[in-house]
Amino acid sequence: MKEKHTWLDAVWRILLYFWALTIVFPLCWVLYESLKTNPEFYQDIWALPKQLNWQNYADAWTDYGFGKSLLNTLYYVGGTLIVSLFFTTINAYALTRMEFKGRNLIWGLIMLSLFLPGVNALVPQYVVMRELGLTNSIPGLILLSGLGESVFYLMLLGGFMRSLPKELEESAIMDGASLFQKFWRVIVPLSTPGIVTVAVFKFLGYYNNFMGPFIYLSDPEKYPIAVQMYSANKQMEYTADWVTLFAGVAISMVPSIIIYMLFQRLLMEGATMGAVKG
Amino acid sequence: MPEPTAANIPRSQGRRLGLDMAKTQKWIFLTIAIVPPFGGYLLFTLFPNLLSVYYSLLDWDGFTDATFVGLSNFVTAFQDKYVWRALTHNLWFMLTVPFLVVFVSLILAYLITNKSYRENGFLKVLFFFPNVLSTVVVALLWAFIYDGSYGLLNGILGVLGVDTGNFYWLGNERTALAAVIPAWVWGGVGLYVIIFANAMLAIPKSLYEAAVLEGAGHMTRLFRITMPLVMPVVRVGILFLVVGTLKSFEIILILTNGGPFGSTDVIGLYMFNLAFGDEYRNYGYASAIGMILFVILVSAKLITDKLFPNKGVEF
Repeated sequence: MKEKHTWLDAVWRILLYFWALTIVFPLCWVLYESLKTNPEFYQDIWALPKQLNWQNYADAWTDYGFGKSLLNTLYYVGGTLIVSLFFTTINAYALTRMEFKGRNLIWGLIMLSLFLPGVNALVPQYVVMRELGLTNSIPGLILLSGLGESVFYLMLLGGFMRSLPKELEESAIMDGASLFQKFWRVIVPLSTPGIVTVAVFKFLGYYNNFMGPFIYLSDPEKYPIAVQMYSANKQMEYTADWVTLFAGVAISMVPSIIIYMLFQRLLMEGATMGAVKG
Repeated sequence: MPEPTAANIPRSQGRRLGLDMAKTQKWIFLTIAIVPPFGGYLLFTLFPNLLSVYYSLLDWDGFTDATFVGLSNFVTAFQDKYVWRALTHNLWFMLTVPFLVVFVSLILAYLITNKSYRENGFLKVLFFFPNVLSTVVVALLWAFIYDGSYGLLNGILGVLGVDTGNFYWLGNERTALAAVIPAWVWGGVGLYVIIFANAMLAIPKSLYEAAVLEGAGHMTRLFRITMPLVMPVVRVGILFLVVGTLKSFEIILILTNGGPFGSTDVIGLYMFNLAFGDEYRNYGYASAIGMILFVILVSAKLITDKLFPNKGVEF
């Protein structure tokens, strides 16, 4: 259908651009302020930097211990990703394609989590973690974030696996494959698109996770980037070092931007799958 | 004794051996597949949820011995004016944030899917971007925007000729509560643009063509075809947003930590600070408030379901 463009279209277009601007503008502002010196920033928040002061990025890196917190982030996000991806995949397979006693009970209990808001159990969860000696430890946090059931991902992967034809598994068994071989050689490769979608969502989720590390890690030496930026902002109240903080925010956005640029189509499709099913 | 080979093992025995093997294999596989994630779920999710009921009946600071106090935490909570203040703020956010998110997302999604502007594909990608950022980054960005001396908002107002006299938007009791809303909406809209846009794209073109043939205008098509057909998705969106707005407090924790003078405190944050804040460490009382929050959340779910009934739409 060819639309006639009227004066009203101009209004609509402005509306779209206005929202786009609310996103682009603050981000650009942070980027160019991050290249100024503090006196320049104090003088005029609009002026462009006279020269690009990349030193701020180096300062942010050292002042906020980004090296250390990047390693912590890598440890936490990487560890959790491996643990949870493995278990979500194998679990989705067992729950959707295998017959065993108690399967319905387990499904029912997992579905129960849709009714549990989570916040109300913050205190007892902390006590459980403390009793198990898992507080203030990144491995403890990996166990907390990595083990557990997530209805959304189970449905996403389960749906994917259910659509694979039964004959594939049967012919694998005819060829003498064990259950494990069948899972690794047939199911996992065929489910890769689903697994990658889940992995990208999980990566962003863990990378952006603030509450978990904030509650469970008391030692600043163990902070991942999200918590590190929060405490950097607290520090700023005393140092008034704006430009370095801007640089820090810019650095902490880099992984999200890269992942988004690489996987935006996957992310946008996956977002709808999850939201409509819930 | 000859070596057992495939040939001299009796067939029936071989089959049973195979069956046993398969059984053991299945058993091991299921143990690996089910026990760790389901165990983690029981231990870190279900068990704490049950425990929270028990904790709510205790007077306990988390370290010294707990005393059983029955329902007295709940009595205190109902008399606690901070609880009521926080709940009022929750109600305020619950009425504004989901409404604004849905309203803005519907408009943007409609424009993106129904207007053939060349840049729409790019805009869709751009709109989703804030959803990829962490709450910390979103909150810090908005803290920069609202800063009194060097913030973007006062800067823009200054350019427009409005002198704010270095007004701290988040530091003032009158404006802080309202100032949280744009940050929250900004961070949430992108996801719903995608969800609504995809729902709109799923509507068959033939419906619109038939309507045009019968002389239906833009508005008729919007309100008679598009809106009714995306309503089921909007309904789920509202449910998500209402529950999400009620339970999340991260953005407020980072932006204001409930201040100034409790003017932006919400129930989740109040509970959090009672349990983990430096001053109180009141686990029993925090758990009681958690229970109240739980009841509110489940009721909100049920009420939203009633208000926006799930009318299945077929096309």
